[in-house]
Amino acid sequence: MFQTITDTALLVTFLGIAVHLTLYPTRLPRQAATCRLVRGSVHTLSLLLIEQKSSLLGALKKLVYLVTVLCFLVLAMTGFWPLLVRGQHISGYFMMIHATFAPVFALCLAILAVTWAGSYSFAADDCAWVQRLLRRTTRLRVPAEERPWRCSRLLQKVTFWLILFLALPLILSIIVSMFHLLGTGWQHATLAIHRWTGLAFVIVAILFTYFAIRVRMTDEA
Amino acid sequence: MRREAIAGLIVWAAVCVPLAVGKETAKKLLGDESDGSRAYSVHVIPLYAENEKGEKGERVDPNAEQVMPFSTRWTCGECHSYGTISRGWHFNAVDANVPAGRPGEPWLYFDSKLGIQVPLSYRPWPGTFRPERVGLTPFEVTKIFGRHMPGGGPGEITAIEPDDVAKQYVSGKLEVNCLACHNAHPGQDQGSPTGYAVQVARTDFRWAAAASSEFADVTGSAADMPATYDPFMAEGEGPKAPRVTYNKNAFDAKGSVFMQIVREAPDERCYFCHSDLSCAGGDEKPEKWSQDQDVHLAAGLKCVDCHRNGLQHNIVRGYDGEAAESGNTMAAATSCRGCHLGDESGRRPDGGRLGAPVPVHKGIPAVHFERLTCTACHSGPWPGDKTVLAKTSRAHRLGTPNVAKDERVLPHVISPVFAKQTVTDPNESRLTTPKIGPHKLVWPAYWGTLTGKNEVEPIALATVSKVVGAVMKDANVPSTGDWGEVKEEQVAKALKALGDSGEQKPVYVTGGMLYQLNDDGTLAGPKEHPAAAPYLWPVAHNVRPAAQSLGVGKCTVCHSPKSPFFFGKVAVDSPVASVSNIALRQYEFQKVPHGRTWAFAFSFVFRPWFKVVAIGSAGLIAIVLLLYGLRALGAIARVLAEQE
Repeated sequence: MFQTITDTALLVTFLGIAVHLTLYPTRLPRQAATCRLVRGSVHTLSLLLIEQKSSLLGALKKLVYLVTVLCFLVLAMTGFWPLLVRGQHISGYFMMIHATFAPVFALCLAILAVTWAGSYSFAADDCAWVQRLLRRTTRLRVPAEERPWRCSRLLQKVTFWLILFLALPLILSIIVSMFHLLGTGWQHATLAIHRWTGLAFVIVAILFTYFAIRVRMTDEA
Repeated sequence: MRREAIAGLIVWAAVCVPLAVGKETAKKLLGDESDGSRAYSVHVIPLYAENEKGEKGERVDPNAEQVMPFSTRWTCGECHSYGTISRGWHFNAVDANVPAGRPGEPWLYFDSKLGIQVPLSYRPWPGTFRPERVGLTPFEVTKIFGRHMPGGGPGEITAIEPDDVAKQYVSGKLEVNCLACHNAHPGQDQGSPTGYAVQVARTDFRWAAAASSEFADVTGSAADMPATYDPFMAEGEGPKAPRVTYNKNAFDAKGSVFMQIVREAPDERCYFCHSDLSCAGGDEKPEKWSQDQDVHLAAGLKCVDCHRNGLQHNIVRGYDGEAAESGNTMAAATSCRGCHLGDESGRRPDGGRLGAPVPVHKGIPAVHFERLTCTACHSGPWPGDKTVLAKTSRAHRLGTPNVAKDERVLPHVISPVFAKQTVTDPNESRLTTPKIGPHKLVWPAYWGTLTGKNEVEPIALATVSKVVGAVMKDANVPSTGDWGEVKEEQVAKALKALGDSGEQKPVYVTGGMLYQLNDDGTLAGPKEHPAAAPYLWPVAHNVRPAAQSLGVGKCTVCHSPKSPFFFGKVAVDSPVASVSNIALRQYEFQKVPHGRTWAFAFSFVFRPWFKVVAIGSAGLIAIVLLLYGLRALGAIARVLAEQE
């Protein structure tokens, strides 16, 4: 069942992104859009080419992000490949690689959480639809926002916080099982939590990356 | 009218008489069914012997001139269906229709001088040989191994070899000895110099059950009697003739004997055939008082509390998946899982039977239960850096007179070896899940011939004894009963002698290797060959308490680069020094690659750091979430407050 749901969820995610991209293009000429897409992807993935005036701290932050992305890819591959391709649970070398990259990923994610949380805080202009709702349904005097609502930016922030939120059960479900706390029944439960949370995490991470690219492309438009 | 009446009578007879007879033959005997009372039935019963026709003979009279041994078939069979019982697991090895089930301990035929140590079994367990393949008739098998058989099986097969026919007339058949299990009297004698085992060795099969009882004494030896001896005739008896003498005081006024028969066999009866001893090596000899017994027995259970059977004597062996192969309805309920966990899908809880603790297995990832048997962590000797020699009742004649007590006595049974065994999943009878569990192991050593299919067919022991014995006649056999040293030159000579005697492509299998002769007569080998693979059988006892299970408290008991579970040495046993110097590792029997196993074990060095980093990172993320969550709440509250 998990294999089927994973296949379906990933398929739906990628299809959804494709549909979204089709329905809400970035309003750039196709050639420019393609070029910007590639650059946006590279920037988003590497973050090494922007901010020519970045400090040592900024470079370290970008390095941490790069390592995080690398670890994420390795963890996703080692976690889902045996299941989706071979129909088996993770074991052997895949398990060892997964367990090696996991603490690195956790640490890098924690650093990113600390350094990026500020810039991903929600602001009033992130919630235009909430403002409209409040204006229409309450007597609160909410000023009308003149700037256009940046959907991608809002969703990027949402997915960022979702990633952090999902990281907790993802990490703790495995760590708790390593202590002499849980019996066999709960071991099964924590493994299931890790599995399902991992799936949700991957989907949210994919969406975060997509929205990050869109935001980068929109910024450069 | 008269004709019609006669015709009707004939029809009535034709219908009713078979029904009546059929009803009679299907009728259970007195002792076949229980009335529900758990009290012991008092057995004050007459004894019956068997006559020369193999039928029920005269009632035993201790004062008669010609006193015959009582027959369990005709004595116990008065009230208990002997035919049904004799098809039970302990007696049905020779029945080809019985599923063999999980491999078990074979009979080990060995000869130190000839360099032979070969596992034999009538059950088709892969790696064992049927005794006839090495030239042993059922009569000979009974004579050699019947000491630790409860009778029946090959002992009741009618001989067809001319020599054996004559011998069997003198010796009789080795009937199922009900007393071997069900006689609770402390005088039940299986192993004394006049007991059951000695009588069997003397081929006093007809007298063996009586000799084991507390009220009869047997002297003489059927093996020493000529083929013309008639045990049913009083004339011609000499001092060597087998003779039974009953204790007259055991018979009451009516000529009946009180027998202390119990339904549940006492543990001591099982122990006679099912004892084992781990030899740790070194100066300290293992003693019974220094080794703990099985935790179940220490807790007050009896062997038969788990190993149960009904009238059919289809005893529970107690392994996972047995329910799918055995007709015993208690097989699932009395396995490790059945008692301790029960059927988790059942409507009512049935785990924790007989007070069995329900295991929680805190901190153990569930994958262990897919890869390991219960016995892997809970049974057998604690794994050491190298395997040890083990002794068993059936292999080493434990409990019988003149047993060599040296640790190195043959046969060499090696233990514990953690190897993969196929387990039938009780939830899906067709599914087989290879699991790792502890085993005993024996390295076969025998002389054979290489067939066209590259298989090895063992040469008959009589031929080996004659041909190879001539080559090895000057070989020194140590007094300890260990292997004598066999040099490769001797192997080459023996192979040549076998070839000269008419054997095509003779080979010698030993220690996992095979020797054969090249076309030019030189010795080729040793080389690996499938026929030389060791024979393993799972170990289930002694079960250690939970506090002594593998991995208790620390994962590194098994998951470390020096762990005996994966990296312990497994001795290769052979009389040939160049082969026995090879040492294998446990992981080779678990069919796991060395590199990956070592890498995974090594990764556990970093496991504490893994936990610290992961917990710290999760803590940091949680703090960030909490902090910004509170800030968000605060912002919302401010907005609402300002607007008001």
